[in-house]
Parts: sequence; C-alpha cells; structure tokens
Amino acid sequence: MGRYKYVALATVATIVSILLWFDPLPSLATQPAVLLQTQPSLSQVIPDGEPVRIALTAVDLRKYPLSNVRFQLQLTTPAKTPWFTSDFPIVEGTTLLELIADAPSGKLEFAQVMPIRGSYVLKARVTPLVAGAFEPFEQSLQLSVPERFVKYRNAAFLIGILMLAGIVSGWIIGGDQAVREGEVASQPIRLVLSFFTMLAIAVLLFVNISAELNSAHSHGEMQPTPSASEQPSQDLELRLSGDQLTSVGQLATQTVQVINKKTGVPKAGVVVKARSIALEDGKQMFAYQGRTDDQGRLSWKEQFFDGSPHRVIVEAEQSIGPVLRASHEVAVEGIEPPLYIRLISLSYYTGAFVLSLLAGIWMHRRFPRTI
Amino acid sequence: MPADIESINSICEAQIMAISTSVLHRTKEATLSLPIQAALITSLSSLMIWTLYFSTYPPVHNALHTTRHSTLAVACH
Repeated sequence: MGRYKYVALATVATIVSILLWFDPLPSLATQPAVLLQTQPSLSQVIPDGEPVRIALTAVDLRKYPLSNVRFQLQLTTPAKTPWFTSDFPIVEGTTLLELIADAPSGKLEFAQVMPIRGSYVLKARVTPLVAGAFEPFEQSLQLSVPERFVKYRNAAFLIGILMLAGIVSGWIIGGDQAVREGEVASQPIRLVLSFFTMLAIAVLLFVNISAELNSAHSHGEMQPTPSASEQPSQDLELRLSGDQLTSVGQLATQTVQVINKKTGVPKAGVVVKARSIALEDGKQMFAYQGRTDDQGRLSWKEQFFDGSPHRVIVEAEQSIGPVLRASHEVAVEGIEPPLYIRLISLSYYTGAFVLSLLAGIWMHRRFPRTI
Repeated sequence: MPADIESINSICEAQIMAISTSVLHRTKEATLSLPIQAALITSLSSLMIWTLYFSTYPPVHNALHTTRHSTLAVACH
C-alpha cells in the first residue's frame, strides 16, 4: 500500500510539473517594470509603412504608474540576416533611435517608422527625477514586426516566371538538336535563343525608358530648402541644431533649445513637438512630444534609414501667444548594399531558374512522346 | 621544279583548310552542346535578374525602386 502511495505521489508531481511547463502560473512582480503598448498592434505593423505609436509606462510593484520618471531609450533594429536579407541591409543590427525623456506621469509616447521586419529591442532605463524616489531599473522589450505580405506575393510571382521560363527552355533544348544541312543551329536552339534575345531587349528597353521617365519627373524636386524659423514671440526663442549631414546606419543628433530672448536664460518645462519628414514622399518618420530640461534643451538621436533627405521640424507651444517653429533639412547619404548580400539573393533566384531548366530537360527525356 | 612547288602549296592549303574546317566544326558542336546552351541561357537570365533587382546603377535603381522594396530578399539600400 505504501509503495502505491509513493507511485501516486510521483505521478501527481509529474502531471503538475507538465501542466506548469505548458501553462506556468503568473509570476509575481519582484521589481518595477515598463509596460509597452503599440498602435497598431505589432502583428499589424507594416515595415517602412506608417509610424508606429509606442507608449511606455513605468509601473511599480503594484502595477501603478510611477511619477516623475526619466526614460533613457535605445531602439535597435533586428540582427543582420545576410542569408535572407531585408530591403535595408545597412540598417540591420544598428541603433534606430536614442531618446532621453522626462515623464512626470510615468508615461512616454513617441511614433517611429519601423524600417524592416524582425525583432527589435527597446532598452529602457528608468531613473527617478527626484533622487531616491525609487530604485533605477532597466528593461529590454522585444518588438517583433512581421514581413510585408506583398513581398512574398511578388517573390512567388517572380519565381513562378523563372520556373516557367526554365521548364520551357529545358524542354526545348533537351530535345533533338540535329543540325540540318545549311543550318547554323538546330531549330529548338534557335527558338530558345531568339526568345531570350527578345526578352533581353524588352527588359533593357523597359529599364531604360523607365529610367528616362523617372529622370524627367524628378527634375526640380530635390531643391535644397534652407533652415527655416518662425519666431513671432517676443519672449521665447527656439533654436534647432544638430547633424545636417548623415548616412544610413548612423545616428544623427538633433537638439532643440528654448531660451528667453530678453534674458538669454534657458527655459525649462516648455512643451516641444518634434518630428522628421521624409522629403521624397512627405511621410512622417518620427514624432515625439516632450518637455525641455533644466538647460532648456530637448535632444534625441535618430537614424534616417531610407537614404533620402529629411526635414526635422520642432514646434514649441506657449501658454500665451503663437506657436514657435524651427526646422532644418538633413541630407542623408544612401549606402549600397554589400555585393555579397546581393549575390546571395541572386543565387536563390538563379537557382530557381536552373532547377527548372534541369527539370525541363529531364521531363523531355523522360516523357518524350507523352506531351 | 615549279610544278613540284605548286603541288606542295596546294597540299599545304588543303591541310590548312581541313584543320580550320575541323576547328570550326568542333567549335560549333561545343557551342551547340547541351551544357553550353544551358549555361548561356542561365547566364542571360541571371544577368537580367541582376539588372532588374540588384544593379546599383542609379537610373536602373530609381526606375525599379518600389519593385525592389516589394520583393523578398532583394536589398535596395
């Protein structure tokens, strides 16, 4: 009887362990945490699409928001994937954004376009604005962004075309290649060569005509716009400074400072709206609203990942009077993807064609009369 | 004597012609062989894919910029 008791006990312990393995009990919070919310939800985020609104809330052990918090954020892009590259390989494994922001209510919001698919890491260091209010802590949050569906569809379409061309070509050149009297090449060979020659002509015509049309349309679009500033206030002045020349993969520092015109003293606690706009298509890439610190400054570092010029715009609201506005243009140098990454991808698509070609040759020899 | 020289010349010419005909024939056979044909077609296809999707030549890149960003495993910039 005693032996059965131990067996039953061991069985129950095993079942409980298995259940806990699959559905663990909610862990009790042992330290403050940062809660993440995104709009839209991460599963609906489209890479290089609309900006994602990211909201962070620092909470205590009882899940109540902490007040008077300073966030130090670093958003890094997914790791490099040379064997399955994204459309921005230079951006992979780099820092997309660095931001230090004060949040009196414990909540911080900003908007950022996610350039590529994959798992982003948002490192948040939370410190109290009032010394000793709580213990500083750090937390890493994962943001997984899915790939765009249209990429799969287009790749399938391209592979389909390559497979069709490969099978037809293989079928033709896999047949009888006897050269008749007076012919330079057999009829199937001439047929395939003629088809591919025409295809090459069509491709080159399309590329060159498209290039000409693009060139004609882009004339005058890239006029450099100077730094602009609207300072209608008699009291406050908004100064925007920072990198105006950067490259893809690098962080560009931007700083806005609000000072009192009359006294020259920095003005703390002024609400500043900052955003960056891609000038190619007018799309907003980053947006943040924060307050100036004791030095009257608000700084952030962002990466302009698409290699096109951007305009950084800052606006300061006053309790009385019009909105102050300043902006400047940032020239961004695009960097070509490494050759080996492009060759790896080329090998995939060429591989699809070669396999189809071999399949066509095999099919002609295996079923010479059935088709 | 002149007749001998002429006959030697004609023999040499015939041999040269035979050799050149043989080289031409072998070249034609090699060119039209299945492996060479398959390699040529593959090279042409690969070159077209490269031009459309992977070339960094600015006019080509700009013409197909959107297409490149909308195709899997194609690095644009």
